[in-house]
Amino acid sequence: MLKAFINNIEVEFEKGLTILEVAEQVQVKIPTLCKHKDLAPSGACGLCIVKVEGSNKMLRSCCTEMTEGMKVNTHDPELVEVRRTVLELILSNHPNDCLTCGRNNDCELQSLVADFAIREESFNKIVREVPKDLSTGTIDVDPAKCIGCGRCIEVCQQIQNVWALSFLDRGINIRMAPAGDIQLADSPCVRCGQCSAHCPTGAIFEHDQTRQVWEELQDPDKFCLVQIAPSVRVAIGEGFGFPVGTNLTKKIYAALRRLGFQVVFDTNFSADVTIMEEATEFVQRFVHKKGALPLITTCCPSWVDFMEKFHADMIEHFSSTKSPQEIMGTLCKTYYAEKNKIDPGKMKVISIMPCTAKKYEISRAEEMFASGYQGTDYVLTTRELIRMIKQAGIDFSSLEDEEPDHLMGDYSGAGTIFGTTGGVMEAALRTAYYFVTGENLKKVEFKNVRGLEGIKETSVMINNIEIKIAVAHGLGNVGEVLNKIKQAKKNGDPLPYHFVEVMACPGGCIGGGGQPYGVTNEVRRLRTEALYDDDQKCEVRCSHDNPFVKKLYKEYLDAPLSEKAHHLLHTKYVPRPEYKK
Amino acid sequence: MGKYKKIIMIKDTNTGNRTSRIYDLFLNSLRERGLEDDVQVVRVADINFYNKGVVARILPDNITYVKIEESDIDRIVRISIVKDDTVKDLLVDPKDKQMRIVLRNCGIIDPESIDDYLKFDGYKGLKKVLEENNRDKVIEELKISGLCGRGGGGFPTWMKWNFAKSQQTDTKFIICNGDEGDPGAYMDRSVLEGDPHSVIEGMIIAAFAIGAKKGYLYIRAEYPLAISRVEMAIEQAHQKGLLGKNILGTDFSFDLGIRLGAGAFVCGEETALIASIEGKRGCPSPRPPYPTINGLWGKPTVINNVETLANIAQILLNGGKRFSNIGTEKCAGTKVFALTGKVKNSSLIEIPMGITLKEIIYDIGGGVLNNKKIKAVQTGGPSGGVIPEEFFDTCIDYEGLQKLGSIMGSGGMIVMDEDDCMVDIAKFYLKFCVDESCGKCAPCRIGGKQMLDLLTDISEGRASCDHVDQLKRISKAMQKASLCGLGQTASNPVLTTLKYFEEEYKEHIVDRRCKSGKCELLFIYEIIEDKCKHCGLCQKKCPVDAIDGDRDNGFMINQEKCVKCGQCFDVCKFEAISR
Amino acid sequence: MTKLTLKNFDQETSKEEKEIKNWVKVGMSTCGIAAGADVVMETIKKAVKENGLDIKVIKTGCVGKCYAEPLVEVKVENMPQVMYGKVDADIANLIIQQHIIGKKLLNDCIYLVAVKDGKNG
Repeated sequence: MLKAFINNIEVEFEKGLTILEVAEQVQVKIPTLCKHKDLAPSGACGLCIVKVEGSNKMLRSCCTEMTEGMKVNTHDPELVEVRRTVLELILSNHPNDCLTCGRNNDCELQSLVADFAIREESFNKIVREVPKDLSTGTIDVDPAKCIGCGRCIEVCQQIQNVWALSFLDRGINIRMAPAGDIQLADSPCVRCGQCSAHCPTGAIFEHDQTRQVWEELQDPDKFCLVQIAPSVRVAIGEGFGFPVGTNLTKKIYAALRRLGFQVVFDTNFSADVTIMEEATEFVQRFVHKKGALPLITTCCPSWVDFMEKFHADMIEHFSSTKSPQEIMGTLCKTYYAEKNKIDPGKMKVISIMPCTAKKYEISRAEEMFASGYQGTDYVLTTRELIRMIKQAGIDFSSLEDEEPDHLMGDYSGAGTIFGTTGGVMEAALRTAYYFVTGENLKKVEFKNVRGLEGIKETSVMINNIEIKIAVAHGLGNVGEVLNKIKQAKKNGDPLPYHFVEVMACPGGCIGGGGQPYGVTNEVRRLRTEALYDDDQKCEVRCSHDNPFVKKLYKEYLDAPLSEKAHHLLHTKYVPRPEYKK
Repeated sequence: MGKYKKIIMIKDTNTGNRTSRIYDLFLNSLRERGLEDDVQVVRVADINFYNKGVVARILPDNITYVKIEESDIDRIVRISIVKDDTVKDLLVDPKDKQMRIVLRNCGIIDPESIDDYLKFDGYKGLKKVLEENNRDKVIEELKISGLCGRGGGGFPTWMKWNFAKSQQTDTKFIICNGDEGDPGAYMDRSVLEGDPHSVIEGMIIAAFAIGAKKGYLYIRAEYPLAISRVEMAIEQAHQKGLLGKNILGTDFSFDLGIRLGAGAFVCGEETALIASIEGKRGCPSPRPPYPTINGLWGKPTVINNVETLANIAQILLNGGKRFSNIGTEKCAGTKVFALTGKVKNSSLIEIPMGITLKEIIYDIGGGVLNNKKIKAVQTGGPSGGVIPEEFFDTCIDYEGLQKLGSIMGSGGMIVMDEDDCMVDIAKFYLKFCVDESCGKCAPCRIGGKQMLDLLTDISEGRASCDHVDQLKRISKAMQKASLCGLGQTASNPVLTTLKYFEEEYKEHIVDRRCKSGKCELLFIYEIIEDKCKHCGLCQKKCPVDAIDGDRDNGFMINQEKCVKCGQCFDVCKFEAISR
Repeated sequence: MTKLTLKNFDQETSKEEKEIKNWVKVGMSTCGIAAGADVVMETIKKAVKENGLDIKVIKTGCVGKCYAEPLVEVKVENMPQVMYGKVDADIANLIIQQHIIGKKLLNDCIYLVAVKDGKNG
């Protein structure tokens, strides 16, 4: 441990930390608009400057390493004045659209301007007129609001390895956009939404569909069903002042009923169905040698899009099982509709997702219409649902708990952990073990696939046969795993893995692009813990033990991979160009 | 002397008007003595003295006389030509104020011939270094020499090398920064075009000292001749065994490549330069980590500018001590400047540190063009400042210039006269930085544009005194919070003009007037009736027939037609035109 | 081309090349060429050839006297080494005829006389 001083406070710290990081340890918050804990420092905003004894410059605390004996001053009047000027400069280059901006009241620039009590604008307003890019229908880009912090580009290139966004032009005209100034929809963008989750302002924003959903809810001819994804329940509370990682499943059910949804289902149920199909697929390929190994999970639409664009040679490895969202949508308009004699043409299925790419998934391939109708009609992100609840004047935190509707609302512990990295794998293993051995695991937890490490490798013994496993999250980590597989295939070496799980967002869906802002690894950890806790509290821990899943197969689908199941619950993949045109 | 025994070269170094008259007098005097076939009198165009009256130089004796009057001619011929003696009271020492280390071979050797370079001590410094085979000693010599970075920063070169040397890794790089971009600066181009081997030799020595195996010359693509001569030099050095494997038969190997800069000024900043070589957008990154520790492709990298590297071989060949004796105590060696602007002799000069601006402008540059009144000199390009005449006795070194709010910079030196408007000058440099800002950091990106808008308001008569306060406020934020040198120094031209020429700003803001005739909306040309002598010259000169009237009734400028070119103002001998 | 080594360096580089007594140097950097040095170079080469002169014409870099480009430096036996400035084709021909052949310096064109300091002399 090293020692140094921040504002005359002695602080002990580990070597390698920056001044900004060490300052936090002594409750000193240095303002910044470009540094994000997930990302390498870029030094773009110029707000985090501090004085270090012995240097006549003001140094950027985000990228200056704290060293032994350093004496740092973070907040003298001169520093505050320079920061204020820089902040005013940034404001002079930013439209005053706060009242109608999606980030109003949740904007990093806005809160800093408020903190600095900037009451008038001393500089000329220089706001660019750049058209919005609404091409994806999932992520809206408004370059006029961009403050050039570079977070979106850093996350798109370095964390996700997608390289859809880059900086164009220079000087005062600099802006983020796809290379070549094409539309985002024509770029390699996989709609993961991490850009929007990291944007400090309203420059990149999920495509808001709350108004369309309100319209459907008001229409007396429509029958509205809703499903909530696993990770929504442990993140939504952040929008209502709950501590990070509070599980609010039953309050969400209640809120959704108050919003006017006739049926409240849970995506955790369809996650259980996904496992029935996917684990069966795995057993088919692994035990009965029917199909390519390794099997790779496909619940994540960004990952699917990424694979179709960049790794189409791996299509045969992809599980054909639809994602839980799509299984739920399809089953609503078939199974539920038939049972309750409701015209599926009048049904509207709305899903609440942690994810912007899910908005894209609902129409990505013709199998999404397997019921004869589009399975899922609208996707709202967690952030959109929070807004809807507030619009409806629901005092969320005081709501009484409610239960879901039963046919497709009850879930196993395996279904709920789908929302975090490693969760799909763990759930699948629980059921695959049962399918192979005919017995349930004595201990259902697979701790080796849990946690925030980018790539997790482990192996599991089933019937004395070793199953090699890899779990990757954050698309930037996928390449390494795929390369190992490709290399082994090319050389005819033994497969490095038999089963691979990929989730596009760091941490999995709990860190999804549509979740409440301010995600860091600490937030990811707390949300994840809440999901494992939910699993722990479930009486039923395995998908195949979910009585409603059993009922579904018995009454309707027959068995996993049956002809009906195949028709309704499976999909196909095709190579897609990275750039359209 | 050919068919002559002696030659007398003459030149009127003030106006030039008397040269012919003196020439005739010399001829007469020689003829009277019957020496016209033994001595040639030559009128020369430049004799390297300025404002010293008529100057004569006698060859082959190499004697120079100054301030020669007509009455002196006869005794010069009598004493200097006939008697072979000297006329003591007119004699001066023709010592050159310049001193050439970096430019030692420029204009002298054939830059496309390595043999020519070898003839002038080329690669002897490298040979000595490899013979001694002691990396510490190389750095020690550099330390003794006191050489500092000539790109503008002035950071001790030995320290840079030492940081990189002490990094424990196999892969290190040396980069020559030839991305010269300051307006009016062309020092690096001249060296690369005139003596490319001197830079290459410096790089090889640097590579040996720090332990690099690969180096790059980053040269701006707008310098095609420099590029082709460097390419040629690299090829020749390869053939001679001075580059590539086993240099000079030792086990030291090193190779060089050229990378072209695509025209972005900011790529002269070292982290942006590295990004550019790596194929990324040419944007600076935060420092630390410094390139000497984490540079090109994450490896320790030394980046030196062309002029710095051209010094290296000479220092190692002749020893650091000798170099340190040149210049001043704090600032050793020489500096190359591109002396331009309103100066008679626009030239590329190399002077020992410590001589004054006055010496440069008057003794080397020959003073101001067209006998106008000098106003200031700008050093350091867009990062530098404007120094008014009252400080021309300042000695040239890093500290001296910095105290005045300017910088040494890479070597641009632009002379400005009474026709230059300081608001306009500040605007010009700031516009350059705004255009060249990469846009990465907010203070530079937005601050620069805001300042430019404020200056435009001032130059177009829309400003109030608040504008000056705002300029100062933004300047400070840019200096303190910009990411790289471009933004941190971009306000220097504004701050120095504000400091030294506040009156001019006030004239623009309060009186809405630009006396220099640069800010078009803030002046008109008018004829002062009392002073006008009805000569009509202005009317003849006006290119757009904007001057009405005749010699009997006097003249008037038709403001609707006037394009404010200023030709009438310049041509009037009676100062009868105001602006 | 022989590769240089530490051992053969002195020997190889000090090989007595026949001393060039007569030469003309033309400043052929970008600045010179922009001012017309390429035309001057061609003119001089042609005149040297036509007159059968024993003169080596050498291309050099920029000597720094930008205001007087193009620059031509002349050294012929028994004549002072001088540099002519603002040279055009006409002056180039005059340099050949009057200076080199006629051994007489040109009026109004000289910008620099070599100060004897070894290298430049």
